[in-house]
Amino acid sequence: MIAFLFLLFGLFIMLFGALGLLRFPDVYTRLHATAKCDTGGAISILLALALASDFSLTGKLKFLVIAFMIAMINPMVSHAIARAAYKSGVKPKAVVDMYAWDNP
Amino acid sequence: MAEENLLVILPYAVAFLVFTATLVSYRVIFGPTLADRAVALNTATTKAVVIIAMLSLLYDAPYLLDVSIVLLMVNAVGGLIIAKYMEVRA
Repeated sequence: MIAFLFLLFGLFIMLFGALGLLRFPDVYTRLHATAKCDTGGAISILLALALASDFSLTGKLKFLVIAFMIAMINPMVSHAIARAAYKSGVKPKAVVDMYAWDNP
Repeated sequence: MAEENLLVILPYAVAFLVFTATLVSYRVIFGPTLADRAVALNTATTKAVVIIAMLSLLYDAPYLLDVSIVLLMVNAVGGLIIAKYMEVRA
């Protein structure tokens, strides 16, 4: 039952991430939406699969290894893409641009 | 087999994630800048990793988890290479 709830929660979070990617106005806001929602949804779904599966102990541990690697890798790639987009000249449609204060 | 009521809903969950990846691929094809395409490709690959993990539970095949781990590593290296390319080209 708890695995079912985790699976449903993760599916809805991933749908909201995709909607944010489609509807937000800017590269940085889209990156914000997808980095949060995709990481959280994937971790939730993988926890549900690890709870519900009847693999051996290494099989269950592999689900947790995938969840941990998503939690490490996905923010790193998002940070690199945001930094590269700013340096390649995409200006954010924001009122306050705090990255430009530190990097004139 | 695994827990039964989860196995009933798991094919619908896979179909739902494929539909979400189809929505995201609009941003890959028609994205205005290169950064949009990179973000959308990263999102779609993470969804593919989760889909492969679901299929390994659905078909009772634990070797598919290794495929999922390798795809995740390739996604990280590819995202960093695209970011470095955008930064150098500027």
